[in-house]
Amino acid sequence: MRLSIVILLLFNGVARADEFFIQKIEPLLKLRCYECHSHEQKIKGGLALDSRSGWVKGGESGPAIVPGKPQASLLIKAISHADKDLKMPPKQMLPAAEIALLTEWVKLGATDPRVLTPKTTELDVDDAWEVEFRKRLSWWSLKPMRRAEPPVVKDATWAREPVDRFIRSTLETAKLTPAPPADAEVLLRRLSFVLTGLPPSPKLVDAFLKDYSATPQAAMEKAVDRLLLSPHFGERFARHWMDVVRYTDTYGYEWDNPAKGSHEYRDYLIRAFNDDIGFDQLLREQIAGDLLPKQRIHATARTHENLIGPMFYHLGEHRHGSSLMFNGIHQEMVNNKIDAFSKAFLATTVACARCHDHKLEAVSQQDYYALAAVFTTPRWTSRVIDAPGKNDAAIARLKELREEIRFQLAAKWRESVPTPAALKTAMGDVSSAKPAINEIIYPLVRVGQAKDVRVGWAELQAEWQKTRDQRIKTKAAFKTLADFREAAFPPGWVPEGDGMKHGFVEEATPLIALEGPGVVTRLLPQGYHTHALSSKLPGALRMPAQHLVPGKHVSVKMAGGEFGAFLVMDDHAFQNETFTFVTNTEPQWKSFADAELKNGVQQVAVEFTTSALNPNFPPRVGLNRGLKNSDFGYDKRSWISITGIVSHETAGAPQDELDVFTPLYAGEAPTSIDQAWTRVGKWYSEAVIRWCDGRTQPGDLALLDWLLAKKLLPNEAAPESKLARLLEEYREVEGRIAFPRTANSMDERDTPRMNYPLNVRGNVDVPGTAIKPDFLQMFAGRNDVSRSLGSGRLELVESLLQSDHPLTARVYVNRVWQWVFGTGLVATPDDFGRLGDKPSHPELLDYLAREFIRESWSTKKLIRRLVLSQTFRQSGMVTATARERDPADRLLHHYPTRRLEAEAIRDSLLTVAGRLDPKLYGRPILPPRTAIDELKRLYSGPLDGDGRRSIYLQMSIMEPPKFLVGFNLPDLKLPTGRRDVTNVPSQALIMLNDPFVNAMAKHWAVRLLKEPHANADDRIRAMFLSAFGREPGESERRRWLNALDDFATADVVDRMKDENAWQRLAHAFFNTKEFIYYR
Amino acid sequence: MTPFMNQLSRRRFLQTSSTGFGWLAWQALAQGALTPHRPAKARNIVFCFMDGGPSHVDTFDPKPMLKKHEGQAIGESAVSKRSQSAANRVWAGSPWEFRQRGQSGLWVSDLFPHIANVADRLCVVRSMVGELPLHGQQNLLLHTGKIIGQAPSFGAWVSYGLGTENRNLPGYVVLNNDWVPNGGLENFGSSFLPASHQATMVRAKGAPVDNITPTDSVSIQKRKLSLLAEQDVEFASRASDSQAIEGAIANYETAFRMQTSVPDVADINREPERIRRLYGLDSTDEHQRLYASQALRARRLIEAGVRFVEITCPSFDGNNSPWDQHGLLKQNHEKNARITDQAVAALIVDLEQRGLLEETIVLWAGEMGRTPHCPKVTATSGRDHHVNGYSLFMAGGGFKGGTTFGETDEFGNSVVRDPLNIHDIHATLLHQLGLNHERLTFRHGGRDQRLTDVHGKVVNELLH
Repeated sequence: MRLSIVILLLFNGVARADEFFIQKIEPLLKLRCYECHSHEQKIKGGLALDSRSGWVKGGESGPAIVPGKPQASLLIKAISHADKDLKMPPKQMLPAAEIALLTEWVKLGATDPRVLTPKTTELDVDDAWEVEFRKRLSWWSLKPMRRAEPPVVKDATWAREPVDRFIRSTLETAKLTPAPPADAEVLLRRLSFVLTGLPPSPKLVDAFLKDYSATPQAAMEKAVDRLLLSPHFGERFARHWMDVVRYTDTYGYEWDNPAKGSHEYRDYLIRAFNDDIGFDQLLREQIAGDLLPKQRIHATARTHENLIGPMFYHLGEHRHGSSLMFNGIHQEMVNNKIDAFSKAFLATTVACARCHDHKLEAVSQQDYYALAAVFTTPRWTSRVIDAPGKNDAAIARLKELREEIRFQLAAKWRESVPTPAALKTAMGDVSSAKPAINEIIYPLVRVGQAKDVRVGWAELQAEWQKTRDQRIKTKAAFKTLADFREAAFPPGWVPEGDGMKHGFVEEATPLIALEGPGVVTRLLPQGYHTHALSSKLPGALRMPAQHLVPGKHVSVKMAGGEFGAFLVMDDHAFQNETFTFVTNTEPQWKSFADAELKNGVQQVAVEFTTSALNPNFPPRVGLNRGLKNSDFGYDKRSWISITGIVSHETAGAPQDELDVFTPLYAGEAPTSIDQAWTRVGKWYSEAVIRWCDGRTQPGDLALLDWLLAKKLLPNEAAPESKLARLLEEYREVEGRIAFPRTANSMDERDTPRMNYPLNVRGNVDVPGTAIKPDFLQMFAGRNDVSRSLGSGRLELVESLLQSDHPLTARVYVNRVWQWVFGTGLVATPDDFGRLGDKPSHPELLDYLAREFIRESWSTKKLIRRLVLSQTFRQSGMVTATARERDPADRLLHHYPTRRLEAEAIRDSLLTVAGRLDPKLYGRPILPPRTAIDELKRLYSGPLDGDGRRSIYLQMSIMEPPKFLVGFNLPDLKLPTGRRDVTNVPSQALIMLNDPFVNAMAKHWAVRLLKEPHANADDRIRAMFLSAFGREPGESERRRWLNALDDFATADVVDRMKDENAWQRLAHAFFNTKEFIYYR
Repeated sequence: MTPFMNQLSRRRFLQTSSTGFGWLAWQALAQGALTPHRPAKARNIVFCFMDGGPSHVDTFDPKPMLKKHEGQAIGESAVSKRSQSAANRVWAGSPWEFRQRGQSGLWVSDLFPHIANVADRLCVVRSMVGELPLHGQQNLLLHTGKIIGQAPSFGAWVSYGLGTENRNLPGYVVLNNDWVPNGGLENFGSSFLPASHQATMVRAKGAPVDNITPTDSVSIQKRKLSLLAEQDVEFASRASDSQAIEGAIANYETAFRMQTSVPDVADINREPERIRRLYGLDSTDEHQRLYASQALRARRLIEAGVRFVEITCPSFDGNNSPWDQHGLLKQNHEKNARITDQAVAALIVDLEQRGLLEETIVLWAGEMGRTPHCPKVTATSGRDHHVNGYSLFMAGGGFKGGTTFGETDEFGNSVVRDPLNIHDIHATLLHQLGLNHERLTFRHGGRDQRLTDVHGKVVNELLH
């Protein structure tokens, strides 16, 4: 204070202020700050303090000074070392006097007459990035696709497809010749593995060889079309795509929680590839499936396909816990999403820009956080993926039946209103009872205990009136957001699932009992009850972000059971542990105080949900109270009720206003005990009659429910009665409703766009400027993401699908090329940037990409073009010249020998052994394990996975299937465009000694022994056909016959029945290199 | 190739060459140990991984102030993001006495009576600072240098950098018991390094290594292999990449030998009774016997030329990780100590007696320490997660025995002198192995990746 007076005295007025700056502040800045924050020296963190514009613009953390507000100025915060993570100068704190001076200067308005002269700098910081950015835009993958025509080649007869002319032309330039065509059986085996990941069946081999010798082209086309139509095609290409999107069935880290509905996403991919859904549509669905105006319903699976697409985001590793407890949780997860998105669809490494502008690409740190804002705007939550209306017929029938049951029940109740005497009997001896004021028996007990009825009644009435008035008065503190007199939620509260959609009931609607002798379980209060018709129906209600709901508190009157829960979600939290299973069947108020938004958290919201729509159900072991660890949470009945919503400024909850007693106390007080009982009798009989007439009034429900619980109202259907028939039908219809299918997805209904704070130098503890949702600056002008009212995901994906987008089609076409040929035209499929490889055939890549778009983004048409090409049909013969000039075969002068992927090795074992179960789809199958770990839900499954293809094995981040890991299953957390192929002794040990391989050898042998082979020769021929897709040569035949003799069991005479020997032979087949390689 | 291409980058070229096959890499590995960057002081590492986080203030960092202020609230200034903390938690004294041990007078608590006996060999760091007080993240940080993992394990880097000295044994072995630590098997993985560098898991019970027990008799297996050799050589001649096929064929020869060499080196039955007792194999506690057998195996593996051996702790009570005592600190830290203390000490003694300690680094570390405070001091209270200053030690391999480095405040709540992070430890350990942590790189994702990322410094003060 003293200082500022002195300053004011000394430097009064503008000129004085300038002078103050020049005399006191500028020297200080020069001495203490310029070393790291000036154009002549360094501009650390993007902050320059050698001009006014420098601090106005600020660095990565935003403006350094807010004139007049030292407390809001980062510079002051930094020099006062108030924040652990932002201490300047970093090594030693300034003397207190200097801090005081700078603080005063800011307080007085931070007058700063300096301007940056061109001499001191050529560009300011922003301009420097701008220039660099422009430079970086001139990179091959960001330039428009060329309109390349297939070149003219000398040997025009060689080329079959346009692809071939591109390849041949380059080979001609390099003075190389293509390899001669591969043999028919080699071709078929290659086709079969490339298209289905399985070896060709001996039947197919026979047919193909016959066809091929007559008309090779027709035979090829027939085989290709047949394989493209095989349902195994979808499994093969879905698995390829699953690598790209880092598919996983669990979330890893400490508890390896199940990733809800991941297998639904896997099955969705299989269907999509089999149905040849355009890649444009697949892209739309994965990025913004929940926002698409048109539903894509799968005709046979009866699934809402586009809602499954956004499971893409949820894959990868998820931390448990909340950012509010440990800073960094959601930021780390968001990083994984940005990484996967940018690599999978753009082959661009955006995640590098988390801490700084990209070192090499046209990606700024701003870009990273703009994408983070896009991805964190929607709710990350579970959706029902059943086709809408799937249960409509059943639901409509249940509603009718409930109405009829009510009618029948009303008739019964009307005739058998209980007498006061029955009531007295039911109450038993209450002389010492001490009920609470809101209990039904409260007045009855009190009247019974009163000496003088008239006095007692008056007291009772007065007490009731007083309490009621008091409670009505306190009610004023609560703003009603919903009381459910009508079927509607407050604005911004988003319901999900048939349980909510059909869960609204009027006051005192019967809840039909699904088992037992009773007709109704209870009467439901007005509001939403997901189990009103069936507890199989899923339902959730998701509130808006707390800070958007008026009032410091929100209270919800709710009930629930069977793992119905509420979750407090901060910034979508991914795997929050802040949830509670609801166990009260009577609705109770639950209050939620607005959480403090800290640690970069932008919003906190509460979800009320049944287990199927709970994105974190089942929760981690230890929090799964009532659920076995081995229970993965499928097919559960579950329910929640929501019967009131209020907001308020102070803690507390509305109290019951004791409506139930209003009719009781109406009119003159009774003068005798008999009169009192008559009054009581009238009280409940009128309530019963009102219910029967459909005129239920507030408070009646409590009374009716009490009578029902006390068995004072008839609740059993006489055998053969109409009521019994209705009840039976109700239960039968309810029984036919299937459990819901749900998956983690996105929901952006009523979700306003969120900004995302830039993390200075990637440090989550140093939040900088809030960044609005936007797409990468490199695509500015070709998208409307920043103009979207929501996340902008729909605008984003539509821009990616513009026919002149430089990356989308190129990146995908290149992936398909790699899946077919082993190496992409760009050898680094996830990186088209400066650190990636450049395309070997840029014109071909553009040609294919444009054709791909022209052919409606059809994957199958693209593949057909590739596998029918002469390039694909080449053999593996390499000339010495070619090996020398192009050892990596980038010019495609032969088809490379390729090792099968892990899955294909395992699937081949199953196929050849005759153990493959060709069933499609389904929940993950646990892999065999040598030990189980209950805490991480690492249980062991059948040795052979029930014969199912490897794609169906549970992909656990914590411990993926060991057999597959042995053969380079990729890291499940990371997008992997191209798998490693290593060659290590442990692979030999697996094939030699793994019990699964041995079991398959045995299975094969047992099967072979049942075949009517004439002799060993015949059988070995059959084995060659199964295992290698070809006939044995003469020397091979002898070699294997000899081995069979050496493998023979001593005491078995008939070698055709020597199971041991055949098992050994089968095992040897599996161990040949030809078994795990194709050429 | 540039003239600057050293041994390492040649290997890298071979491994990532566009053939896509690791054959050449395998060949390079099969040649055995590779040339280090500088003369090595040590050849091997045994990493005793104390999974779950042993409490520093109950082991190597005595804090009498905790007893003195026991039950008093820690206050706002002691709250940290690197600790499960809150102002109303209270200081909690150690249930164990600390004493000065050996010639050096190094402080070790009574929790570790055996390790206390080798105090003069221990180089204790008391100033470790982690990133997040969470198991998964800290485990991955400790093992891979990154809290999100997705990178090779320390052992894989060492194997990659130095190769194995025994072509029938892998370079990195984890002595485990089918225990998956928090963070997953990725803790032991090779990530983007060639798969041959991932840990080979040797378990304490049953068959030591997956698929190591031949399913065939030797004669039948040999007959199979000769059949395969003939068949495969023919296939190789038809394949465009015969080298890859030949590599795969050669793997069968190695695999065949491994079936004998691995069980041999893992077999501790032939060790003399004196040695078995030294490690505690005569204990009545099953978990202690398991750990003792793994520690003894570690010595045998080191002798046989394995570069990096890691031993995990057995879980005895179904806890999420063995040393994670949020409650029952006294009871269960003692159990963990009973399981590991004698064998760790025995390993140091045994290595020294064989003249191997000079070239072998024994690293003892958990992924975190434990809070010097708790919500309430009771007979069953515990300590929570703490990475704001905790302890670990190295022995042998050129580390200064009988010394401590770094300092936490008087409550053991935060570092006040010489903070180190795990990158510094990694850098220093690599340094002793003759590897420069800034030059031990592998090209992946468009950049030269390092174990220490962009961090780490060699801490010369720890070294002779």
